[in-house]
Amino acid sequence: MFKLEPLATGRVKLIGRLDAAEAEQASSVFAGLEGPIDADCSALEYISSAGISVLMVTYKRLHQKGHAFRLSAVQPRVRNVFIYSGLAPLLGVE
Amino acid sequence: MLVRRFPRAVASIPALVAFVREFFAARGLNAERAFDVDLVIEELFTNMVRHARGGGDAIEVTLDHEAGLLTVRLRDENVEPWDPSAAPPPDFDKPTHQRRAGGLGIFLVHKLSRDVRFEHANRITTVTARLEVAS
Repeated sequence: MFKLEPLATGRVKLIGRLDAAEAEQASSVFAGLEGPIDADCSALEYISSAGISVLMVTYKRLHQKGHAFRLSAVQPRVRNVFIYSGLAPLLGVE
Repeated sequence: MLVRRFPRAVASIPALVAFVREFFAARGLNAERAFDVDLVIEELFTNMVRHARGGGDAIEVTLDHEAGLLTVRLRDENVEPWDPSAAPPPDFDKPTHQRRAGGLGIFLVHKLSRDVRFEHANRITTVTARLEVAS
């Protein structure tokens, strides 16, 4: 299961597993995000290429409007997927 | 060895995750490494669901573990020849946001596995990936 939880303005929390089974529904939720976004990934347990694609689309959309889309508190096992994908610097994953 | 057949649909992913957990628990493997196995299976499985032509209702998945190596095998029957390793890898020379998303899944499978083998014979595609997973 995957959930996108709104926190304060400009802050959301990604919870659960962002896989191919969840990607379609997740992309419609991400499509509703506006403005600069900081996404807390401390509870993101897993991500696959389908999930990476959802985040990439979101990054592109917000970036075109001049807004930042950054991830924070990414767990080590998830961080590796961002690093292998070459997306870590773009999304602020350290 | 654990063998099970899963309906040819991305909706099978939660059942595949449960299958991996069942195997890890039975063999007493480090649960933290199960996520890499999930990723390898998901990417190979979804590639078969989306790109293999023909195919039956189900895809067979086998897990085995011996001498620190975990073997993942997916077997897809009655399909046209298909080799996802022929897909172009992500273009790392392009700025990240201009890259195609396709090809990333198989690239990740190679990154996480010690080796990956694609075979097609008698209308059966078999993909075997081996990952280093300590007991």
